[in-house]
Amino acid sequence: MRAYSPSNWKHTGVVLLCLLPGLGLIILLIGTVISMAVAQSVGYFNFSGPSEFSLIYWQKQLASPFLHRSVLYSAKISLLSSLISVGLAYMFAMWLRRPFPGSTMLGGLLKAPMMVPGLVAAFLLLNVIAFHGFVNEFLLWTNIISKPLRMQNDSFGTAVIFLQVWKQMPFALLVLIGPVQSIHNEIFDAARDLGASAWTRFRKIVLPLTLTAMQAALILVFIRAAGDFSFQVIVGPREVSSMAQYMYTVQRLYGEWNEAAVVAVVLMTMSLTGALLLAAVSQFLVTGRRR
Amino acid sequence: MRRSKLNILLVAILVIVLVLWLAVPFGMALLWSLVDPSKAWSYPDLLPQKLSFVRWTEMWETTNLALAMGHSYTLAPIVAVCTLILAAPTAYAFARLDFHGKTAAQMLSLLPLVVPEFVTALFFTSLLYKLGIYAKFPAIVLGHIVLFLPYAIRILTVSFAQVRQDLIDAARDLGASPWARFSSAFLPVLKPGILAALIIVFIQSIEEFAISFVVGSPDFTTIPTILYSYLGDNFIRPNAAVVSLILVVPNIILLLIFERLLKSNGAVTVGGKG
Repeated sequence: MRAYSPSNWKHTGVVLLCLLPGLGLIILLIGTVISMAVAQSVGYFNFSGPSEFSLIYWQKQLASPFLHRSVLYSAKISLLSSLISVGLAYMFAMWLRRPFPGSTMLGGLLKAPMMVPGLVAAFLLLNVIAFHGFVNEFLLWTNIISKPLRMQNDSFGTAVIFLQVWKQMPFALLVLIGPVQSIHNEIFDAARDLGASAWTRFRKIVLPLTLTAMQAALILVFIRAAGDFSFQVIVGPREVSSMAQYMYTVQRLYGEWNEAAVVAVVLMTMSLTGALLLAAVSQFLVTGRRR
Repeated sequence: MRRSKLNILLVAILVIVLVLWLAVPFGMALLWSLVDPSKAWSYPDLLPQKLSFVRWTEMWETTNLALAMGHSYTLAPIVAVCTLILAAPTAYAFARLDFHGKTAAQMLSLLPLVVPEFVTALFFTSLLYKLGIYAKFPAIVLGHIVLFLPYAIRILTVSFAQVRQDLIDAARDLGASPWARFSSAFLPVLKPGILAALIIVFIQSIEEFAISFVVGSPDFTTIPTILYSYLGDNFIRPNAAVVSLILVVPNIILLLIFERLLKSNGAVTVGGKG
């Protein structure tokens, strides 16, 4: 450690001044928002009645079957969405690894969903899968089915997962394509010469070399999917709520700020631990297997 | 040889799939927005019986769509410019200054992306109520700025890192003033990054739903919140089609401009010899 001289202090001052408007604002606002949620969940900052420490809101919500169901449901949707998105993104990244005629256009088309706002995507999907949507009309017209199928608001959440993958896969691809492309061809050639199959090459070369990017993609998609509100409200199952939807209902319909805060804290914990767990498991599977 | 043929086949299949999943849905949205109210489009008609712009004019005249568009298109440029200005110093520090805890600081700057948007929106509202702030427009501006700062910081960090130290030193050695140094060594390299950050934040702000919806409800509307109102419990398909197109078409045009800007500037900007 060097002793702090005046020039060092000056340097620190400059750094702090630089960080203040951007990073400072982020930490101030998001930090306050998180603290607000935590404080309200244990009875502080009440809008009506006395503000004092109380665990009653936690007791109420932790006993609620609705919360349990929405935690499990949101975790399921996020897990499936992130696995499918990252899996598909790997497929496309491997395919686009070396340029070929049409690969630029293909890359552009694959990224197109990023330009389409989520709500618009949900509406477009509705048109396609609705009772009188494109798919049903087509299947009726070709006499494959005699009655329209019910695909909107399916109880598993397939439509929500489809929309999540549609929207998130391009992000995962964006994260993965660079690292995948930077793997040298010689490594693949060497592996091929040694008789490694395509699957082995993927498992033993691509996965370990792109592990960090894969973890980033998994975390990104998981967190985005865990906090979903609009896809769920529009095409999700009617009998279960996503966590964001449940939190909003608790606050808006019942006016329960403190209980909504409990749901918020549970949602943040779930999305963070879920994402980190996913990253840890993928690390174990990729590096553990090699040894 | 076989691989290239396989590729052509795969590309062809994929293009068909993408046409099916981009062109068909958008085509249907366009058709739905043009369905004349006097003749409903229902089974077994494969195509609408009568097309007109009635829905478009009706939407414009009878709903508060115009107001919502006004809100969205004043919010977005203000948010974009403010975010850029606030992000620049942090990006400069990340790219060109050495300090302890830089990695941690960079991780912390991603905080708005890690907290679920609806949690941010709801407890930001709660914070505003506690502080007694009921002005919705500035509140949403602030919310959007914080939400999109990570994108701007990231883009500008890359740009600042590309500025060449020898150009800055040369400008200083030649006695250039701070402004001259900035405009000759920094600005040309930063320009694509600045444009990219502005456009990305602008688009994100136009389509942001959580904060606009939670903070703005019930009376402050933006284009996405209007769209949501036609998609939720009172689902009005032709109206939703009109709003969807209004929301998405300008975005696509902006992104095309953005791609062009990046391409035309890409090669020249790094400047100097290789």
